[in-house]
Amino acid sequence: MRGGRRVAIVGVGYSDAGRRTGLSERHHAAQAARAALADAGLESADIDGLTTWGGNPIDFAHMLGFSPLRWHLDVGISPAFISPAIHAAHAVASGQADTVVAMRVILQQPSRANLWAGGTGMAFDAQFQHPFGDLMPAQWAGLLTNRYLHESDATEEDFANFAVTQRGYAAKNPEALMREPMTVEDYLAAPYISKPLRLLDCDYPCDSGAAVIFTTEERARDLRQKPVFVEATGLSANHDMTFELLPDMVRTSPVHCLQQLWSHTDLTAADLDCAQLYDGFSVITLQWLEALGVCEPGQAGPFVSSGGTSLTGALPTNTDGGACNVGRRHGANFCIEATRQLRGGQSGERQVADAEVALWANAVGPFSGAMLLTGA
Amino acid sequence: MTQQADLARPAPPEMVIDALSAPFWAAARERRLELQRCQDCGLFIHLPRPVCRRCGSFRLAFEPVSGRGSVYSYTETRRVFHPFFADRVPYLLASIELAEQADLRILSNLVGIAEPDVRFGMAVEVTFEDLSPDLTIPVFVPAGSLA
Ligand SMILES: [Zn+2]
Repeated sequence: MRGGRRVAIVGVGYSDAGRRTGLSERHHAAQAARAALADAGLESADIDGLTTWGGNPIDFAHMLGFSPLRWHLDVGISPAFISPAIHAAHAVASGQADTVVAMRVILQQPSRANLWAGGTGMAFDAQFQHPFGDLMPAQWAGLLTNRYLHESDATEEDFANFAVTQRGYAAKNPEALMREPMTVEDYLAAPYISKPLRLLDCDYPCDSGAAVIFTTEERARDLRQKPVFVEATGLSANHDMTFELLPDMVRTSPVHCLQQLWSHTDLTAADLDCAQLYDGFSVITLQWLEALGVCEPGQAGPFVSSGGTSLTGALPTNTDGGACNVGRRHGANFCIEATRQLRGGQSGERQVADAEVALWANAVGPFSGAMLLTGA
Repeated sequence: MTQQADLARPAPPEMVIDALSAPFWAAARERRLELQRCQDCGLFIHLPRPVCRRCGSFRLAFEPVSGRGSVYSYTETRRVFHPFFADRVPYLLASIELAEQADLRILSNLVGIAEPDVRFGMAVEVTFEDLSPDLTIPVFVPAGSLA
């Protein structure tokens, strides 16, 4: 990142994620944070900043013995985990804190109201959604997917190939919750949730805590893991949270987000060794691929079907299997997977050889964020 | 329909209607589509907001619109996400681009048409559906089908 101290990711960790674990938000937060500290080789006393979406950073910090904090931020409705991650990185870069834990804690919940609890305007806006039977994110995703199919060259078979490719990665990831082999026929046989969106286009709800630790380059050099550096970040917001009313459902905020990100670095999309692109719904990843320019506009579907996102393709993408298979870690999995890829040798059978540059990105539509990481 | 049948039917999802949005629903009860409009720069604003995003004015009022528009996107919901809609599944949601202003969109239902017959950009017009004795919603049908 230009202008400030150089920042590195030094620790990553998950809680014991799963379906209806019975564990509380605090429990998942505690497991994830302790796992990230152990990964980094850090002690509680080393942490002087905390930010989270899900739970409260002040509460979590006391529970984990991080007191006193010099910096904390309670992140609300925002582009998933990228938001606490970007704020944590910039807190370290600016010197507001030295070693910051960024977290996303999310319990398996059925509704948008619960998923986005705390948004002051959401209850008001729901009166223009709920009476029409517009109740779940899968329905705006149906609208975005249908418009994308209309404007692009993508077909349902391309979406099937996307799901199959991701499941192939998941089969190589012991932490993925969905690892059974899947075929194009399996995808096409799965029910529509909100046509043309099918069940296997959706991320897999679960209880999950995830934590990532950011610190200075200087501190990072003494720690257990090979540092992974934050090269650039980008954020964008261009509409309220009503995805259904986006004027353009195909070219959404990732386009602007990536303009911000690339303006802060000399690297380009051609330098990427892998990409970890949000897949809360399949169409989101396809939008990011096009926003990155790794294929022509409207060509992300054929790009996927021709193997472009596979381990031997032009841009290995969502190499942990994505949230459709790893489970709804709400973006944190992409940061953790990008970090492991760049450490080298930590992604097992799905390791991208000699990976040095990775981009991870979250969300779509009204808001999004992206972070560019380097291994050296 | 008997009163007993009405009671047996699940209620529509709960809604928070306040002073800002009440004119929209009051107009719908009278089978008119009215949207918030800036009285200084003329911008239609949907969803209702306390301020105009184009000129910053707080002088906003609801005005009738033609109810004509076109289908920007649509999706057919196949799952029951609330008991009120159990006997309506599958149903069509659509983002309608209204004629009054570029990029002016409203989320609603498409009715009187089957999913395979819907086309992107097809002309539609508003009509109204009573969901309960207290709640009427604007929905859209293919243009010309109300005659
Ligand atoms: Zn105005």
